[in-house]
Amino acid sequence: MRVASPFNLNLKDIRLIRRSSLPRWESILFSLSGLVLAFVVTGVLFTIVGVDPLAAYWAISQSFANPILLASTIERATPLLFAALGLVVAFRLNFWNIGAEGQLYMGAIAATGIVTLHLTTYPFPKVIVLPLMFVTAFLLGALYGVFPALLRAKFQVNEILSTLMLNYIAILLGNYLIYGPWQDPGSHGFPNSRIYPPEALLPSIPYIGGSSGFLIAAIASVVVYIIMNRTTFGFELKVTGDSVRASRYAGMSYTRVVALAMVLGGGLAGLAGMSFMSGIMGRMKENFSGGAGYTAIIVAWLAGLNPLVAVMAAFLFGGLLVSGDTLQITLNLSASTTNIFQALVLVFILASEFLKKYRIVWRGVG
Amino acid sequence: MMDPSVIAQTMLVIAVEEGTVLLLAALGEIYAERSGVLNLGVEGMMAFGALMAILTMMATSSYVLAVLVAVAAGLSLSLVHAVLSIHLRTNQIVSGLAITILGLGLSGFLGRREGIIGRPIVALPDVSVPGLSAIPVIGPAFFDQNLIVYFAYALVAAMWFLLFRTRLGLNIRTVGENPAMADSLGVNVYGIRYLCTLVGGALAGLSGALITLGYYPAWTEGMTLGRGWIAIGLVILATWNPSRALLGAFLFGGVTALPNAFMSVGYQQIPSSFLQMLPYALTLLVLAAASIRGLRKKVAPPAALGLPYSREE
Repeated sequence: MRVASPFNLNLKDIRLIRRSSLPRWESILFSLSGLVLAFVVTGVLFTIVGVDPLAAYWAISQSFANPILLASTIERATPLLFAALGLVVAFRLNFWNIGAEGQLYMGAIAATGIVTLHLTTYPFPKVIVLPLMFVTAFLLGALYGVFPALLRAKFQVNEILSTLMLNYIAILLGNYLIYGPWQDPGSHGFPNSRIYPPEALLPSIPYIGGSSGFLIAAIASVVVYIIMNRTTFGFELKVTGDSVRASRYAGMSYTRVVALAMVLGGGLAGLAGMSFMSGIMGRMKENFSGGAGYTAIIVAWLAGLNPLVAVMAAFLFGGLLVSGDTLQITLNLSASTTNIFQALVLVFILASEFLKKYRIVWRGVG
Repeated sequence: MMDPSVIAQTMLVIAVEEGTVLLLAALGEIYAERSGVLNLGVEGMMAFGALMAILTMMATSSYVLAVLVAVAAGLSLSLVHAVLSIHLRTNQIVSGLAITILGLGLSGFLGRREGIIGRPIVALPDVSVPGLSAIPVIGPAFFDQNLIVYFAYALVAAMWFLLFRTRLGLNIRTVGENPAMADSLGVNVYGIRYLCTLVGGALAGLSGALITLGYYPAWTEGMTLGRGWIAIGLVILATWNPSRALLGAFLFGGVTALPNAFMSVGYQQIPSSFLQMLPYALTLLVLAAASIRGLRKKVAPPAALGLPYSREE
């Protein structure tokens, strides 16, 4: 006779039972325990390699406590929030846009194009420079986002793969421009665009500091929330996202919905690129984004595709980016140390999502 | 201006070297995706493998151990992805991204902590094939390389044969196309998916080892330079076929060599960025071509790619 016990674990004895429902507090508890586990495991790792975990956590917490670092946190959170908002729209439609990175590059290219034009051949009136950058960044991002949407709608091209390819093309285009025609003549051959003049920079938030782009992004998140929950398009987005077939029966056009979603999604990612330029970098450089378009995927997913929660998630991840620099300066750790923490948070929260849906039962015991 | 044949030879060497790094990672990812598991964690597994290889080499001076540890490093990260995406049925995109940042984070953290930045090791020696390596232009590129490169060529043949000419290969492809049918035919869907995902991790780790043991024998943070992502592009261009991956790898590797080649012949004005875009544009075309009815069967992605499988749903 076989006795099932944790010491005699047989995978065949494990049964998964789908939970009918889970109380809200219990669901939050699962996510929180994921977060705590990530803290504990990272702490153990720190201890193993001889870093005082409390000192490290203190350094990380400074991104949200120290006023100067808080301003940086707000700055770094801005592009993440813009891009994540765009992804929330696309993901709600079940359109897995991995291309926020490329759309973000197109936004940065648009913004830098306007600035280059402004500084070289055609000086615009100073007050219209920022609005002009804003609009062109949105449009170019939208254009770059609609392309894979149409490929999907008309040619059934898998969007995960097509948007990934489009990222490289946008990055290479950006590189060509800053190594070539848009290179700053004063940068001695380094791949930089011209330095943005003051009229092309977003003003700081009074008293708190940090670029005011974050406020615009926060307003955008309310707008996206309203679009998703209070408009016909938002309704179409959800119906089509849940079942393309059902949406067809209801007379909705998949092509129209996916194209509109990606105009919005790509445009918002374009604004992310512009906010990088006007809020953080002040000029276009090689590899300026640090993969923010990919980080935004995580932000959107952790926010449960809720545009309002995305504000908090983006703020958290912006803070972690700043923490990386703090750890490097104060404890001489790699700036990518916070990546470990981010990844573990994700892994444990992913696992807790499963436990929210299923109960695990041992047949032999039960 | 340099002698054109010297330039061609140098370019070919870079194409083969860069191409082989991409090839190894792509071969593994082909198996993972053929079984239906999309793993966007290649970059992280590669970075972790690269670091663990050079750390082991410094500690033990054994190439064999260094390679084995790198393989184990990639394997262990892919195991996390496998558990999350196969048993726990999570979103494979998010899980894969988690693996990428975990691998980049771990390698950056450990490498800096060990203080090995810029400390060189003795690179894996090249083994020249007698006779063939003396062929002008192509000899040094193809027949004067280290053992990992020759192993990669052999792997292309073996993995192609396994995938298209054996029962196991048929099962892998069925699991990736229609897991419910495979299940009803008695194929162990989860088993196959675990196997393929772990093969993917092992080979990504090996490709990382090839970077640090073979071509850049001193570690710096972020030295994988997005090669893991390019390998995922290569998988698509190769239409999930190991033998086509070999050709695609030289194409992707070749464009890496372009900027320097242009510099050396004095054509600095030719924007090499546009030529570097070519493989990606080509990959997009291949993706679109899958919608043409006659081509669909030959070039379309596995139908169940990225979709978790469970019997109840």
